[in-house]
Amino acid sequence: MSFPITLIFPPQGHFTQPYLALPCIKAWLNERGFGDVDMLDLSIEAYDHFLTPEYLTYARDRARRHGRAQLETQGPLPFDRMRAWRSAVESELTADALIESIDDAKAVLRGEACFEPDRYIPAVKALYQGLRLVSAAHFPSELTPHNFTMRYANDRSREVLAATQDREENPFLAYFETQILPRLLERRPRVVGLSVIYGSQLIPALTLGRLIRQHLPECHVTAGGGFLAYIGKKLMHAPGVAECLDSMIFYEGERPLEELCRALEAGESDLSLIGSLTWFDRRGGGLQTVENPPGHPVHLNQAPMPDFDGLPFEKYFSPALVLPYDINRGCYYGECAFCTLPTVIGPGYRTRAAETIAGHVLQLRDRYRTTHFNFITDCMPPGMIKDLPDALIANRAGITWWSDARVEPKAYDAEGARLLFEAGCRKLLFGFETATPRLLKMMKKGQSLRSVTQVVQNCADAGISVTLYAMVGFPSETREEARATLRYIEESVPAVREVSLQTFHIDEVALTYREPERFGIRILDDPEADLQLYHDYESEVGMTQAEAAEMFEEMMQGLANALPIFSGDSIFYFMQKSHYFLHLARGMHPDRFAELAQARAAARTQPKPTGDLEVRPGLVARELGHSYQRVLRTLHDPLARAARPDFLTGRFVGAAEELAARELPDAPAESRWLLYEAGVGEFVELRPDGYRLLEAIRRAGSLGRWLRTQKAPGERGAAALRMFTQELYLLGVLVPAATGPLPDVLLPRPEGRPAGAPSDLPSRTH
Amino acid sequence: MSTSKRNQNERADEAGQQEQQAAAEFQDLDLETLDLEVEAVDERISPSETNVFDK
Repeated sequence: MSFPITLIFPPQGHFTQPYLALPCIKAWLNERGFGDVDMLDLSIEAYDHFLTPEYLTYARDRARRHGRAQLETQGPLPFDRMRAWRSAVESELTADALIESIDDAKAVLRGEACFEPDRYIPAVKALYQGLRLVSAAHFPSELTPHNFTMRYANDRSREVLAATQDREENPFLAYFETQILPRLLERRPRVVGLSVIYGSQLIPALTLGRLIRQHLPECHVTAGGGFLAYIGKKLMHAPGVAECLDSMIFYEGERPLEELCRALEAGESDLSLIGSLTWFDRRGGGLQTVENPPGHPVHLNQAPMPDFDGLPFEKYFSPALVLPYDINRGCYYGECAFCTLPTVIGPGYRTRAAETIAGHVLQLRDRYRTTHFNFITDCMPPGMIKDLPDALIANRAGITWWSDARVEPKAYDAEGARLLFEAGCRKLLFGFETATPRLLKMMKKGQSLRSVTQVVQNCADAGISVTLYAMVGFPSETREEARATLRYIEESVPAVREVSLQTFHIDEVALTYREPERFGIRILDDPEADLQLYHDYESEVGMTQAEAAEMFEEMMQGLANALPIFSGDSIFYFMQKSHYFLHLARGMHPDRFAELAQARAAARTQPKPTGDLEVRPGLVARELGHSYQRVLRTLHDPLARAARPDFLTGRFVGAAEELAARELPDAPAESRWLLYEAGVGEFVELRPDGYRLLEAIRRAGSLGRWLRTQKAPGERGAAALRMFTQELYLLGVLVPAATGPLPDVLLPRPEGRPAGAPSDLPSRTH
Repeated sequence: MSTSKRNQNERADEAGQQEQQAAAEFQDLDLETLDLEVEAVDERISPSETNVFDK
């Protein structure tokens, strides 16, 4: 008898490549006799659905209901209305252009044009702005490429459950009802497994779980994954959650899910013998949460190769498929004070043999016709750093790959790094954390700064792109120590190409929470947060949490100046997971990519117009009652950012909204013009005078034509006009006109030359 | 007069009219006193909003 199982990755995860958990579980279930297992990556499917002309049209019309007119009064704009105002302004300017261009943008990211920066960057911007429009339709909810948050706090079960039924603000409710539920009703799975790796997936997962339980009462809804490993026990005891789920699996999903399916297939209602399962016992009309003891971990080397069949590869926003593959689970080192890995994956360290990995990689390469891999590992032990390249080279795998890594100076010596490159390694991400030896010791990192320098240099010399994970705000860290970390990174460029910087968080399973006195901190509890995982804390010495947030901004600014990939809009390569890696995989050296990024940033400041200019066709302009730029600056203030659910933790920082509203200035009433150009994907703000001038140029047909209607400007007037037009040219608002040369008065001149004097630039003829 | 020549003349007339119209409407623009500040709104999407390697 058929026993259909559906494994679901709920929104929201990143949109460039598939995730690994479901393919691992599918392969395991298939091998154990469950042949009818399908997988739905609803994260990529939802992104693809929302980013269509049809949905964006719906979003535009819906966003208009909370239009700007309702928010702008004659007076100042207070902080508590700024987000809504910004959202309304952006929707108003961008919607029509996005509806027109969104299909093209997706096609660029999925095709060869993805490798052309002038097409790639505007396409990525269109995706970001498209999601802003989707968010505006469900304000104040925010769906971004990296996150999904609502007005509800993730660490309060009552709020989370309310969010699952908020038809106005939860975009996934209607999406699931109209797009997903009909498919499930047709398939009628007996078990649905939801993989919740990130906090951003919690509300969507429970929203879907509730719908399935309502419409498919015979289906058992279970959930598991990294995020639930942290808060799952609390969640399973929270009132109302039984309306969304039937059970939850902790640690690895393979074996518990197999046993659960077997029990349900046999019609058993007592699930108490299934290891690592927590379930709702509804027998006799009651409802009781039952926590089963942990089961045995999987023997990884005997686990089957992940099975990606059925995933919608064509929908990922990437020009090539990058497959994740788990070479090991757990961490062989397992000492770091901030680490919470055992909570997610279970105790112990297990690995596949290098030969097994090579064998699987070859099969995956041929089956899915891709040579790009993302090896999922928290760190490769020294032996594997040698054995894996040997096996890949011996088997002529011909692949490229990237992975996380731990600083192992003996393994990543010059020869080791060379072998890794030869075996296809193009990018490694090392846990560096800080340049302060005192803190490294407190963190129990077991690495010296000297060894970091050596490993980074060896990898860079071999042609491998190096990313460092860094941390700011570890208990007792001072501002000077954080600045020393920044200086170390700056001095390590170009060997270091990217940095993933995070502020330190205290979660309930790390050593820092369990033994706070060792770190000189006092943990603060929030009695309202029944799902609390992350905690505020007070530090006896070093930076406060707020100071660490400020230092984060300072360090990010320093990194933007120091790292070519962080300069200008090249930052998008860093932010789109494998996109930079795919350039390396095609043979580009990291040095060359850095040169291109630098040239791109420089192009934004250097070129001067050489001919007549006209206003870019299709430019959208709106008169606003406040300065968009000023509002944006306020919303980027650390105080304002703290008032949103935190990116990493999804929780609201206590009283942050009130504090921000009290401390941050209102935006005064002032007339401004905001311009938006879809081809560039950027906003430019002008004063009313500037817009009048721009409009005059537009109506005249070109800058030259307009100037011919004017009296010759004086020196100051010519200088002001020159600066204005050059800036607008750089920003893409003014573009070359086919009407002739640049008017003489605007030609760049050596210092001291009076306006109107003949130009001596050789490239110009009059 | 050939058609293309006539079209050219028509276009020239049109452009001339546009210029005159612009001159009439914007003749009071004094470049020395205008507030021509331009604010580029860049980095609307900051890496601090993301943690790419966790997602």
